Amino acid sequence: MTRSDSRYVGASVRSKEAPRHVTGRGRFVDDLVLPRMLHAFVLRSPYAHARIVSANAGRAAHATGVYGVITPDDVVRLTTPFKPGRYAAGLRVPVPEYATAVGKVRYVGEPVAMVAASSRPEAEDALELIDVEYEPLPAIVTTEAAAAPDATLIYDELGTNVAWQGHVSFGDVDAAFARADRVVSANLGIHRYSSTPLEPFACLVDPTPERLTLYCNCQNPEVVYEAITEALGIDGVRVAVPDVGGGFGQKIHLIRKYAVLTALMAVQTGRPVKWIEDRSEHMMAAGHSCDQEFDVEAAVRNDGEVLGLRIADTDDVGGSVSTLTIHFTNKLNNLFNTYRVQNLRLEGRSVLTNKCPVVPNRGIGKPGMCFIWERMMDAVAQELGLDPIAVRRRNLVTQDQFPYTTPNGNIIGSGDYQGLLDRALKNIGYEDIRAQQKTGNDRLIGIGVVIGLEPGGRNAARDMAIFPKSKQMPGAGGVEGATVKIEKNGSVVFTLGAPSCGQSHETTAAQIVADVLGIPPDRISASGGWDSSLSPWGVSCANSGNNFHLYDIGAVHGAAMRVREKVLTLAAHLLKVDRSALDLRDGIVGRVPSAAPNSSADGPATITFAELGKIAYANQALLPEGFEGGLEATYYHSHPHADPGMLPDETGRVRAQYTFGSAAHAALVEVDPGTGRVKVLRYVIVSDNGTMINPSVVDGQIYGSAAHGISVALGEGFVYGDDGQLLTLTLLDYGKSTTLETPRIEIEHHPVPDPYTTLGQKAAGEGAAIPSPAAIASAVENALSPFGARVRRLPLTPERVWNLMHVSR
Amino acid sequence: MFPADFDYVVPRSVDEAVAMLVHYGDDAKVLAGGQSLIPMMKLRIASPRVLIDVNGIAELAGLRRDGDRLVLGALCRHADVAASPLVREHLPLMHDAAQLTADVQVRNRGTVAGSLAHADPAGDWPAALLALDTHVTVAGPDGTRTVPLAAFLVDAYTTQLGANELITQVAVGIPPGRTGGAYAKFERRAGDFAVASAGVQVTLDEAGRCAAVAISCGAVAPSPFRARAAEAMLAGQALSEDLLAQAEHAVRDEASPFADTRGSVEYKRHLAGVLVRRACVAALARARGERVDTLHL
Ligand SMILES: Cc1cc2nc3c(=O)[nH]c(=O)nc-3n(C[C@H](O)[C@H](O)[C@H](O)COP(=O)(O)OP(=O)(O)OC[C@H]3O[C@@H](n4cnc5c(N)ncnc54)[C@H](O)[C@@H]3O)c2cc1C
Repeated sequence: MTRSDSRYVGASVRSKEAPRHVTGRGRFVDDLVLPRMLHAFVLRSPYAHARIVSANAGRAAHATGVYGVITPDDVVRLTTPFKPGRYAAGLRVPVPEYATAVGKVRYVGEPVAMVAASSRPEAEDALELIDVEYEPLPAIVTTEAAAAPDATLIYDELGTNVAWQGHVSFGDVDAAFARADRVVSANLGIHRYSSTPLEPFACLVDPTPERLTLYCNCQNPEVVYEAITEALGIDGVRVAVPDVGGGFGQKIHLIRKYAVLTALMAVQTGRPVKWIEDRSEHMMAAGHSCDQEFDVEAAVRNDGEVLGLRIADTDDVGGSVSTLTIHFTNKLNNLFNTYRVQNLRLEGRSVLTNKCPVVPNRGIGKPGMCFIWERMMDAVAQELGLDPIAVRRRNLVTQDQFPYTTPNGNIIGSGDYQGLLDRALKNIGYEDIRAQQKTGNDRLIGIGVVIGLEPGGRNAARDMAIFPKSKQMPGAGGVEGATVKIEKNGSVVFTLGAPSCGQSHETTAAQIVADVLGIPPDRISASGGWDSSLSPWGVSCANSGNNFHLYDIGAVHGAAMRVREKVLTLAAHLLKVDRSALDLRDGIVGRVPSAAPNSSADGPATITFAELGKIAYANQALLPEGFEGGLEATYYHSHPHADPGMLPDETGRVRAQYTFGSAAHAALVEVDPGTGRVKVLRYVIVSDNGTMINPSVVDGQIYGSAAHGISVALGEGFVYGDDGQLLTLTLLDYGKSTTLETPRIEIEHHPVPDPYTTLGQKAAGEGAAIPSPAAIASAVENALSPFGARVRRLPLTPERVWNLMHVSR
Repeated sequence: MFPADFDYVVPRSVDEAVAMLVHYGDDAKVLAGGQSLIPMMKLRIASPRVLIDVNGIAELAGLRRDGDRLVLGALCRHADVAASPLVREHLPLMHDAAQLTADVQVRNRGTVAGSLAHADPAGDWPAALLALDTHVTVAGPDGTRTVPLAAFLVDAYTTQLGANELITQVAVGIPPGRTGGAYAKFERRAGDFAVASAGVQVTLDEAGRCAAVAISCGAVAPSPFRARAAEAMLAGQALSEDLLAQAEHAVRDEASPFADTRGSVEYKRHLAGVLVRRACVAALARARGERVDTLHL
């Protein structure tokens, strides 16, 4: 199949997953029921910071229906601590971390014990009978308090709460500042939030004599697979991932604690054990995005050219070292956003506090990086009295620079940043709005236009650019498999190398296979959920990192091409024609009409997949010589041009990710002067996701990620009290926007195919979550211009906006 | 998130319900819409041993007009109020409050009486109905008694209701004359509890001046309250912009909110004033016969 030869790629074909989900027939972990199954519940820390004086199962072990209790002592006795992984690459001193708190609790909700009973309510009742004695310690809830010289240590081993400090620097930053006409500075901040997937964590462990099977709604099975294997010291582990109700990064990391606990409980009791997290547990302890504070200076020329940036980034990583540096390292992915600026220094500090540990969240690090760039572009424009769009245009990477290599080594294959801006401005009617603003009226209406990069396809070696001495290379580049099979009856089944969290992977992959094999998507199905013993998975097996479009699509395309080869070989043999005379269409292999004008004379002109299937699997006598039976193939895909830049060079340049989509966002908002409420009147996106396999799937990703980013900007978020208690335990208190607050998202696609991917595709999964917080900030600042207010931090709750009007007045 | 163990009983009449309340005493809780009680039980803030489900008592359902009063049975749901043309015409303040309470699912189950019994300081019904002539009727072992709402509400989450009493109805006087009411609520997002709310009922005299006014404020004090100082400023006056601005200021001083995740003390005071003013404007327009939709702020 060539790029132009597509019937299904590019079409918004009907979703394969939607029918089962809208009719309530999805299969999630909680839908699975096994014989003799127990139900587990986790006892969690009520304190933000405390020493565990003692913890014993005591009365709980003898309560009705209870089969097992696991305390921290059991965990230490029976499991090996987690290895500090990629996410903690910056950890200087080894700190053993277990599935439960040991010795100390470091955040409210930290797991302390687990109980399993014959029913969930019994397990919950028994929880109250576990005796834990705590000795409370001072709770540290801000990075300033944590970094104070006399602060109580969260990890004694580290000797400080500033657990990591480091920097990256590209170009000649000092020279850039020396050359500058002036320096524009700002202190910026982004708060803690989460994508709050509809389905919280879920684990079900089945300890059969042959092996231990974990059914789990994880995004990156490798994490739980290795966690169980290492913690319990067993080889016979199988991980299966059924339908998953949303991931967004939440289900990558901390879920491993519960996988280990549930597995240990299953081994201890000899029974299947199910553990389903509830909403409040998820809010407390499943992971938050990182609250980040940035002190930024921009070296600028009076014409608006930005010569360089200096950023001091303080990341509040919460009460665990296990994700110490992941928010910092992810900034390498879009370090320069869409700009051709050559000089940048980013200093990082990862500070421990008594809050929930941080985890990746849709775009991790990248929304922060985009926020920095776009806030600074507006700040530069204000300082210089220039138009904010003109300042952006002055600094964008231009058309003739593609493929463009960023100073830190990312290679951006293609893009049209000026074009995205042009269209966004036109679609929202920028000039008219500006003109109306000049005529002056009482309404506080503001417009913000920003641009952002959407990196995709992870390079496993990225973090070695910052931590060259990492003892264990986490891998390099990306490898991911897929299997495609024509069944004996002629239908087609495929198996992907990574699980899905609801992003319609079955639908899109089927479209690829459909075009390659010439069979409608209706006759193609996915083999079912992910299974570690059946799925062909490599280092890129992750429902994260915007990996799917690059690796899984590449793999399923490659596998389908191999099957196509087999089909052609077998059909040519059976039809006694040259392969080049054959074509595949609607599940039938036939002669291309023009290639075989007298075909009728030579016997049958066509053969169906079903006929081929019967022969390939069951009739060796009819197979051509040397033909391997069956019509199945597995293919492992890697980025064809991963080098140069797969391994970091001595200056720390590396290809952090491999593809780069982009988008311009334009927001029109109105502020209520009495209440401070921001209403989004219009929200326009112009998006380059490269070749789209299924535009409606891409739209779905954009709608969801924009809705989330806008909600983040306008108020959703986690709030802690001074005592380290989480005050936002329910979705109501957490404050997620509803459909009533979410504007209509107006999308225009402006695809520029990627030169390096299989079909020209780019990523679409993190999408609008990256630029939208910046777009809202920009628009609100513009609306508040009568007050001279500057928007520096999120969220823009009504009260904060009211304060901005109030304080500036 | 499972409640502690409990028993469940279903009375068929008010008398039977009262008998059960007497029998089980403090161990029992009445279950109406369950929209406050069940979440508290799941969080194990409440662990009643017995639930007395009154939903099967037919005589407690619905709402009706009884002369110059609107009578809500104890099982009248928020959604019943929202859908009632009678309410819309004569008590638009209540129509607003019903529209602005929670979300569709909660409105379909939750009851006005349950909301008063629960007495959440940020609840919409206690605040809204305080601006109207509202009486609560309760049945107990010694028969029934009727109390004005202001007396019924004692403090945050505290009412005059005895442990073995049941609310049977809530009656609201239909205000006579050239009158209009409105309820304004500021919520962080649709379906949330109020950050601040205000109910205003204004009656105009022949000359178009304010003959009578009632102003209630919700969520900005331990209990909803009547803003008497602001009322006194407006009563008998022509309601000019200036005067409304003064009332707005007066309300700020009358409020005594506490800070929480919904807002600081200062912001809530400010909002209370803004809401009273906006509700006044809407109530005034309605009193003059203009059509004003429920305010969505
Ligand atoms: C998601 C959500 C959002 C919400 N948002 C709002 C909101 O925006 N504004 C708002 O005002 N409320 C809101 N609520 C609360 C809702 O309005 C409740 O329905 C109401 O507060 C209680 O009414 P109920 O019938 O559900 O009472 P229940 O939950 O059944 O009972 C509440 C209490 O009242 C007692 N009780 C109930 N009926 C009687 C009776 N007849 N006699 C004696 N005692 C009785 C019960 O014993 C219990 O103590 C929300 C609730 C939820 C779940």
